[in-house]
Amino acid sequence: MSAVEWIRFIAGSIFLVIGMVIFFTELFGVFHFKYVLNRMHAAAMGDTLGISSCLIGLMIFSGLNFTTMKMFLIVVFLWFASPVSSHVLSRLEAATNEHLSENCEIYEDVESLEQELAAKRERENTGEKEAYPS
Amino acid sequence: MEKEMIYHPLFIVLLILLSFMLLICLIRAVKGPRVADRLMAVNMMGTMVMVMISILALLLKEGYLVDICLIYAMISFLAVVVISKVYIGIYEEKQHNLENGEGSDADERS
Repeated sequence: MSAVEWIRFIAGSIFLVIGMVIFFTELFGVFHFKYVLNRMHAAAMGDTLGISSCLIGLMIFSGLNFTTMKMFLIVVFLWFASPVSSHVLSRLEAATNEHLSENCEIYEDVESLEQELAAKRERENTGEKEAYPS
Repeated sequence: MEKEMIYHPLFIVLLILLSFMLLICLIRAVKGPRVADRLMAVNMMGTMVMVMISILALLLKEGYLVDICLIYAMISFLAVVVISKVYIGIYEEKQHNLENGEGSDADERS
């Protein structure tokens, strides 16, 4: 094997290993979190970043041909499909869970959320002033 | 020939690692207390199977396997969306029946 082929092998392997690490992180997060809407955050990472780094590694192995183009199409399709499926899954969870407020905070409208956020910010500002008098 | 001797073991090791991860995803799908958990695990399994199919396409030198991977991605996405919609519909119908006081059989199921 020539030097160029060695470089290609090492570059592709690095991307594949990054993809594997991201898949492992995804699995760890899925077992670590306690609720579906938290787990979904970890699971969506592998759908976009994990598979795209794995397929970029395989594209580097494959060279410039039609197989590479199809792999790129898969990555582009998943970039569009994964957020949509995450959104639909979270809608399923929010629509069917009767005890949603036990697991996360729910605001009836945007204004109450904004009011609470403003109150929190004010509290933090006054707290900082007391802690660090200028 | 020498080139295959380097690529082949890497692909085999990756396939073995991916199949272990797939089994762990299956455990999540069996354990998951809610329907969304199970669907999310199925979605993750689909992603890992896509990577496995792409690795097999390079390992066996069969380019058409990547086409199958593309179709697998589309069907996996469609399955998640359709099952979610169907489950939301079933749940709303059950709630509707309960409100109207006809939900004797729906009550038994829950």
